[in-house]
Amino acid sequence: MPHNTNSMYGRRRVLGGLITAGTFAAAGCIGTDDPDGNGGNGNGDGNGNGGNGDGNGNGGNGDGNGGTEMAGSIEGWGWDVAARSLQLTAEAYEEEHDASVTVEEFGRSAMKDDLQTRLASGSGAPDVAMLEMVDGHSYIDTESLADLSGHIEDADVYDDFVPGVWEALSTEDAIYALPWDIGPTAVYYRRDVYDEHGLDVDSIETWDDVLEEGQKLPDDVYMLNLPPGDLAGVWRYQFRQLGNNPFTDDGAVNIHDEDSVTIARTMKELYDADIASMLEGWSSAWFGAYESGEIASLPSAAWMEGTLRAELPDTAGDWGVYKIPAFESGGPRASNWGGSSLMIPAQIEEPERNRGWDYIQWSLATEEMQMLMFDEFGLFPALETTYDNEAFDEELDFFGGQAARRLFADVAQEIPDYRFSVDTPEVSDAINTEFERMLRDDIDPEEAVMAAAETVADRTDRELA
Amino acid sequence: MREQRRKDAVWRFLTYTFVLTATVVMLVPLYWMVVAASLPQELFIEFPPRLYPGTSFFENFTALQERANFVRSIGNSVFIAVVYTVISILLCSMAGFAFAKYEFRFKEPIFYVILATLVLPIQLLVIPLFLMMSQIGWTDTFRAIILPWLANPIGIFLMRQNMQSIPDALLESARMDGATEFQLFYRIALPAMRSSVAALAIILFLFQWDLFLYPLVILEDAANYTIPVALAGLEGTQRVYYDQIMVATSLAIIPLAILFLFLQKQFVSGILAGSLKE
Repeated sequence: MPHNTNSMYGRRRVLGGLITAGTFAAAGCIGTDDPDGNGGNGNGDGNGNGGNGDGNGNGGNGDGNGGTEMAGSIEGWGWDVAARSLQLTAEAYEEEHDASVTVEEFGRSAMKDDLQTRLASGSGAPDVAMLEMVDGHSYIDTESLADLSGHIEDADVYDDFVPGVWEALSTEDAIYALPWDIGPTAVYYRRDVYDEHGLDVDSIETWDDVLEEGQKLPDDVYMLNLPPGDLAGVWRYQFRQLGNNPFTDDGAVNIHDEDSVTIARTMKELYDADIASMLEGWSSAWFGAYESGEIASLPSAAWMEGTLRAELPDTAGDWGVYKIPAFESGGPRASNWGGSSLMIPAQIEEPERNRGWDYIQWSLATEEMQMLMFDEFGLFPALETTYDNEAFDEELDFFGGQAARRLFADVAQEIPDYRFSVDTPEVSDAINTEFERMLRDDIDPEEAVMAAAETVADRTDRELA
Repeated sequence: MREQRRKDAVWRFLTYTFVLTATVVMLVPLYWMVVAASLPQELFIEFPPRLYPGTSFFENFTALQERANFVRSIGNSVFIAVVYTVISILLCSMAGFAFAKYEFRFKEPIFYVILATLVLPIQLLVIPLFLMMSQIGWTDTFRAIILPWLANPIGIFLMRQNMQSIPDALLESARMDGATEFQLFYRIALPAMRSSVAALAIILFLFQWDLFLYPLVILEDAANYTIPVALAGLEGTQRVYYDQIMVATSLAIIPLAILFLFLQKQFVSGILAGSLKE
């Protein structure tokens, strides 16, 4: 039962409420410019929840119409730079509102384990938590997330975000999270290496062009890398680029259609032409090869900029970006890799949920906060309205003076929908296995995608489309 | 005669080669861990890797301490594991003694039910345990981490097997001399079990030391984190501070190494004990 929050929690919230209330009292209890008119709520909610924690199941509703009531303090969970970004917006939020937002920082898989346990047990979950888009439907399917569509409608922010992100966070009649950051794709390339060997970036539009230009490189320099452990990641962004989905609307496996064969064949051609290396992504050897220029291009997403800056500082100024190649001339050149959102667990009581939403909206749906997180931590905003900001046009030294972020913003607006599901890991597994076999020459591209599709259908009990 | 000696020498040579190879295979990762802990981050990702120590151990350590008070986590882990081990040894050997030396109704079924709990994976127990602990307000406490595992089926089994080797006549004569039942256990059975207790100590200590998912869910305040939970917190999405993780893991094995050094002799004989049947 969701309202059976344990007494520890109840107590902690009471404390939080009292502290907030205390500060508030000290501040003189006047002149609140909180637009939501929630001045007194620090007090009210603290007490209301105290009753709750002690086992009074009706406590939450006892305060009457819970519609607009807001808790005085909430807790948010995230990992890594995401958590630190939340701390930034929390500080700003606290300055403007009479509420406290505590942010807990976790390790990535540690947080997922902890959060899933608490969601499943129906108690002890944080009021607000980060949710990776790739995990969206696995969480939604457990029915442990609160439907935010009412809030989103009231706030009228749906159209402010890039359209391609909602699919991962919603079902037909509900939306469970607000998009945060996304990973518009592009190919990072080493300008110096391209120049040295006479490769012409402007002539690259399709993968055929990549093949052709790649031939100009000497034997010990590779055009790009195909990470053996993450061929599925490559496949996924390309499948999405083509506007495709791994499962049809009625749930059949659809990873063996013509698009998938095209992707497999292209990958195989690149590898057979000897212009693709095969190094494990993020390994020391991989970083080393990009540092020395032994691999000249890196298809990735907007967030890679931060990693390159941090890990390979000596290569600053040598990088450039171009849109990922199309599969045929005039074809789409936009996709997405990664991204996250903020959600509220279903077990969270009304006052906390309202406060949580208010904080989420403040952090993710305002240009100011999104730009703050982008500047500080490189989280590329999913909020489309930010793209008018001149910061996107800045010519960056790291990219040899290119306005790389403008390119990412352009790509972001063209990202096709993509539906992740509980079975996404099965798809990745199967694609990885079969594509590796394909590159090793055991099977041809048609066989590889077919075998992958059959594996997925078999393991997930679905039909083949 | 000579032939025999030559054969022995060859055997010995092969054995030593094998043991030496195994030792190297085991030690290289440990060596690399310590080396990596002493390298600055830039050198860590260098390829081919550097194989001799650098000088940044203390810088890495300071950075680690700032991010996640790791020394505190080591203290937490040691405290929890020691308290757990002591209490659990007592309970397990008492239960083992009862199962080995007393007759009572449903003795066999009870014993097999206890054994059967071995097949329950911890992952399965985490959610009910978390609910239980949160309902009695024990989340974020050490006792919540220690209590559920005190009656350890492996421990009870091990102690029962070994206690069976105590001759009934010995206990009987002590009884005649007026020893109470508890004295039988405490004065006679337990001292005879020294090496088994040492082996059990290591098993229990390791069990608690390695627990991850459960303490992760129960503990909330970072100041209460145990080593595995704190370690998991060091992993990010993009940038992983391997240097700090290596420092942390290097430090984390020290208490274990000390424990094992102390109990090494008993551990080996304790594991072997009970394998001989008269």
